[in-house]
Amino acid sequence: MNRRRLEEKIMLGVISLLAIISAIPIFAIIINIYSEGLKYVSLSFLIDFPPPPISGGAGGIGPALVGSLILIGLATVIGGAIGFFTGLYLSEYSHTKLAQYTQMFLQIMVEFPTIIIGLFAYSVLVAPLKRFNAFAGAFALSIVIIPYIALNVREAYKSIPYTLKEAAFSLGLSYPKVYLRVLLSTAKRGVLTALLIGMAKAGGETAPLLLTILGTTFTYFEGLDQPINAIPLLIYNFALSPYERWHQVAWGASAVLLTIILTIFIISRLVVKEVKI
Amino acid sequence: MSLVEISNLNAWYGDKHVLKNINLEIPRNIIFAIMGPSGCGKSTLLRAMNRLLELNPNAKVSGQVKIDGIDVYSDKIDITWVRRQFGMVFQIPNPFPHLSIYDNVAIGPRMNGLVKNKSELDQLVKWALEKAYLWDEVKNDLKKPASMLSGGQQQRLCIARALALKPKIILMDEPTANLDPVAASKIEELMLELKEDYTIVIVTHNPQQAARVSDYVAFLYMGELIEVGETSQVFTRPVHKLTERYVVGKIG
Ligand SMILES: Nc1ncnc2c1ncn2[C@@H]1O[C@H](COP(=O)(O)OP(=O)(O)O)[C@@H](O)[C@H]1O
Ligand SMILES: [Mg+2]
Repeated sequence: MNRRRLEEKIMLGVISLLAIISAIPIFAIIINIYSEGLKYVSLSFLIDFPPPPISGGAGGIGPALVGSLILIGLATVIGGAIGFFTGLYLSEYSHTKLAQYTQMFLQIMVEFPTIIIGLFAYSVLVAPLKRFNAFAGAFALSIVIIPYIALNVREAYKSIPYTLKEAAFSLGLSYPKVYLRVLLSTAKRGVLTALLIGMAKAGGETAPLLLTILGTTFTYFEGLDQPINAIPLLIYNFALSPYERWHQVAWGASAVLLTIILTIFIISRLVVKEVKI
Repeated sequence: MSLVEISNLNAWYGDKHVLKNINLEIPRNIIFAIMGPSGCGKSTLLRAMNRLLELNPNAKVSGQVKIDGIDVYSDKIDITWVRRQFGMVFQIPNPFPHLSIYDNVAIGPRMNGLVKNKSELDQLVKWALEKAYLWDEVKNDLKKPASMLSGGQQQRLCIARALALKPKIILMDEPTANLDPVAASKIEELMLELKEDYTIVIVTHNPQQAARVSDYVAFLYMGELIEVGETSQVFTRPVHKLTERYVVGKIG
């Protein structure tokens, strides 16, 4: 083996090792969360109110789970609709100044500290109402996920071959029919992936919720104008508490949250895989 | 009156002038070839007729295109109506790959509301596939995705898709350029059959193909219409020196 070859081998070895090292945290996190948290998870854990800090039953995360599902659903509907049409616009009107600037702003927004988005939602939807509320949380989460969805939807539509677009228009179809029916069915996997990425993001964010939903512990859902809870927020609050019992609930909630996120992630992978066929 | 009348047609991409004052009449029930070397503006000319050119935000058009005496660029006209009058077949076979063979043909009439019910649609799909010489090959696979067909079959499926809208004219942009010779000659045969009922405009960079299939031919060179006439005439006694050089293969 000559020297060049040897150098190449060493280089490859070092790079591979670094790649493995960088993947360690994710496995460490998954193992850590499940080994600490899974033992507290049961059906009643998913349904029940949290336990009192000192005595009483094991309790659960019912209100936070319900709250998270409501917030994820609402944010995905609002953020999904706005993000989808924005992405479609970015793809089809990419030659316009408006689209170019919008895309630039969205790329900046992806990097925005989400606590700032929470603060914004607080100032427009919480402070005026003088009450923390579920809608403010969904609103903040929507803003967080819009850029992710829009940029991914843009990619999905951009990837459609021009010749298919021409084919659709040559059939004398209107713009809505071409984009929302014919081409959407071509791009549906990319669009679905975009929505799933948004959902995962909405499910995992804590910062936008700190200043918007408050985090009720003993009510499931009382209306969009009332406070609710969410799993990431519950983890944050309970983990910081001095009570051992609440720490356990936080671990269990982490295992549930991780499962939700991983499930969304796996679905989106499966969806992406099918694209290649 | 000719089926299509083009007068003073100009087209630009940005500042680039690609069609220069084209005047052309396309009679009925014939095959009309537009030939010329690559880049001379053939595809642009076809797309200026059915207004598909407007999908390109840089494209500009001036002049007039009439079909059956109706100006397709008139302010009052519905662009989707215009496009339905021109069936179009493209250089790369482009069926919707995720749709079934059936749906590829059905999508136009269905989405344009041209059929009343399922059985009428079934009939129309069958008719179009038969017209495109494809029915016998696919009649048992109608629910399968179009992507499973061979290139030649996909192109005939695209012809069926265009026919299903009952257009007045069929525009074909180098329909055989991406096919093997056997598949290509099948398409040529099909064109000869279709001209009984239809007018076909075929764009080709291959003068032999124009000679084989067309009744009339136009020679386009660098955006200008050099010569138009009956195919036999143009190939045996070209008026213009450039045309002569092109048909013997010295240009292109
Ligand atoms: N989308 C486009 N943007 C800019 N220029 C284009 C575009 N499409 C074609 N052109 C140019 O216009 C001229 C005519 O193109 P085209 O009509 O495609 O020619 P043909 O079909 O005869 O090969 C060519 O010089 C080509 O480079
Ligand atoms: Mg061309």
